[in-house]
Amino acid sequence: MKVRVLAGILLGLLAAMTPAAISARPAPGKSQPSGKAKPSSAATAKDTLPDPDVPRITAQEVEQRIKTKGDVVLVDTDDSVTYGAEHIKGAVNIYYDPTQDVTNADQTLQALPGNKLIVFYCNCPHEEDSAPMVKEMWELGYAKDKVKALEGGLTRWEQLGYPLAGTDLPKSTQEKGQ
Amino acid sequence: MNNIVHYALTYVRKYDTGMPLRFVAVPFPFTGQPKEVDVGYVTGKDMLTDQPMMHAVVDALTKPLTPEEKITGAPAEESVEPRLLPPDTEDNLRALFDERGWADYNWINLPTEKKVMAMLRGTSHKPDEVIKTINITGGARPLTVEKVAISAVMAGASPEHFPVILALATQAPFGNSTSSMANMVVINGPIAKKLKFNSGTNAMGPYNRSNAVVGRAFTILSKTAGDLRNGINAWESLGSNFQYNNILYAENEDALPEGWNPLHVQMGYKPSDSVVTVGTGWTSISSVGGSQELYPVHHLMRDYMSALTASGSSATIVMDPTVAGLLQTAHGFKTKEQLSEWFSQNAQKTAGNYWGNGVIQSVVVPLALQGLEPYASWRKLPNDAMIKPFTNPRAIHIVVTGGKIQTTWFVTDFGMRRGVKIDDWA
Repeated sequence: MKVRVLAGILLGLLAAMTPAAISARPAPGKSQPSGKAKPSSAATAKDTLPDPDVPRITAQEVEQRIKTKGDVVLVDTDDSVTYGAEHIKGAVNIYYDPTQDVTNADQTLQALPGNKLIVFYCNCPHEEDSAPMVKEMWELGYAKDKVKALEGGLTRWEQLGYPLAGTDLPKSTQEKGQ
Repeated sequence: MNNIVHYALTYVRKYDTGMPLRFVAVPFPFTGQPKEVDVGYVTGKDMLTDQPMMHAVVDALTKPLTPEEKITGAPAEESVEPRLLPPDTEDNLRALFDERGWADYNWINLPTEKKVMAMLRGTSHKPDEVIKTINITGGARPLTVEKVAISAVMAGASPEHFPVILALATQAPFGNSTSSMANMVVINGPIAKKLKFNSGTNAMGPYNRSNAVVGRAFTILSKTAGDLRNGINAWESLGSNFQYNNILYAENEDALPEGWNPLHVQMGYKPSDSVVTVGTGWTSISSVGGSQELYPVHHLMRDYMSALTASGSSATIVMDPTVAGLLQTAHGFKTKEQLSEWFSQNAQKTAGNYWGNGVIQSVVVPLALQGLEPYASWRKLPNDAMIKPFTNPRAIHIVVTGGKIQTTWFVTDFGMRRGVKIDDWA
């Protein structure tokens, strides 16, 4: 007897191997993956705030907390070249690639300490790249009150004249952050 | 040709860039080799052109682009399978599924339209609903409810299992690495009893239909949706036998000591929620024989933990209810969280053991070099210095299962993601 079966599961026969897992595309609407500074907040002022459920923290609050408690880990979500050029002083780099599944970064994200405040930031106006990382940290079991996104990101931090580091900065700027 | 070189020449060229990239190739692996071996690779010949390696590198960087190398635009997409295969005999179709690598090489239930439609009646979700989009190198491909139903049929599941499998599908495909990555799946909540998942004697053994078919469905789903094919894009050197069933079991919630919450409740769900939790890891070490009064059971677990990578502080300790009871009454752990905290404070390994692991090297070293503590300080320690690598107690999970026959347990390095609510997929 002949039977007819569905092969629909097999629609799509290409796979990428990453060190951690085959990847899945994140939610749409992310900004470009890397490169120079992303559009200013003025250019996208009418945009809806992405991931509104992700708690934000202001640059002032972070800067104050670093001074008083020192229990903050800052995470720059740009690619390594952009990070190397300019980042918040003391920040570590874990790249968020909007074209890839955020879970690809899980092994690295899980290495972040669970007993400190972890603040993700991006070089984008509305935390488009840092907010998904915050959500992923929740999925990995981190306490919701221990992981936040920096409101206004690197741009806001820079506007306030807080300490920066990176190869693209004039020496005087870097020294200001010492 | 070496598989990884083949991958670079075909997949990366065809699907990542749309144009040929220039490669030179050394034998694999190169990590962990004596320095002379790696030096030999550089001073030796390129595997592709047979030229001296550095000549090949210079050529690849300096020779003018060929017309083919100047192609721009999106890569061409691979042709896809038709939704329906032509009619054939059952034996021929099963042979075809094996030949194409679409199953796990155990006997499959052929996914006829009738059977798939029956499976789809196990959920209120529409067949064309996209659960997630698998972003494979050739482009983004949607994983629909219907595709999951096909896998569920192939695995031998019934429609009542389907919501569990759909919840699992949100976590698909399973891990694919060069080392032996695997998954652990834990079922919690009322669904465990309703569908008779095993959380008693032989909870982790081949003695229960629900455990068997749902665990297998995750395998088939991962292989097909993720298009994992041995030697082409799946190349775990040793592979993992865990990938046949993904260590699927239910937590024995009825046997939890007072004060010990089920896994899903620890994750913020209500006890009345049905939840499936998926973990990813590599290592599982079993206790042998019963626990002894001479040496407290949690001390032995702690000792075994020194063999785990401690990547991301991840560990999942699976224990029989008798062990959980012992830990609560004899050793004073009133909650799972207290026990996790104790492990975090007491599990140790040498710095050499920690840094000698490949995953730690690739994941943690970059953070250490950027100054993140405690890793930056650990990097400066001698190999024999002791460290406490499980810094995050929230990443140490405790799951209670089993038949109260013997005081046995497993120490594993599985890192658990937040569980997925099954009720949302009913």
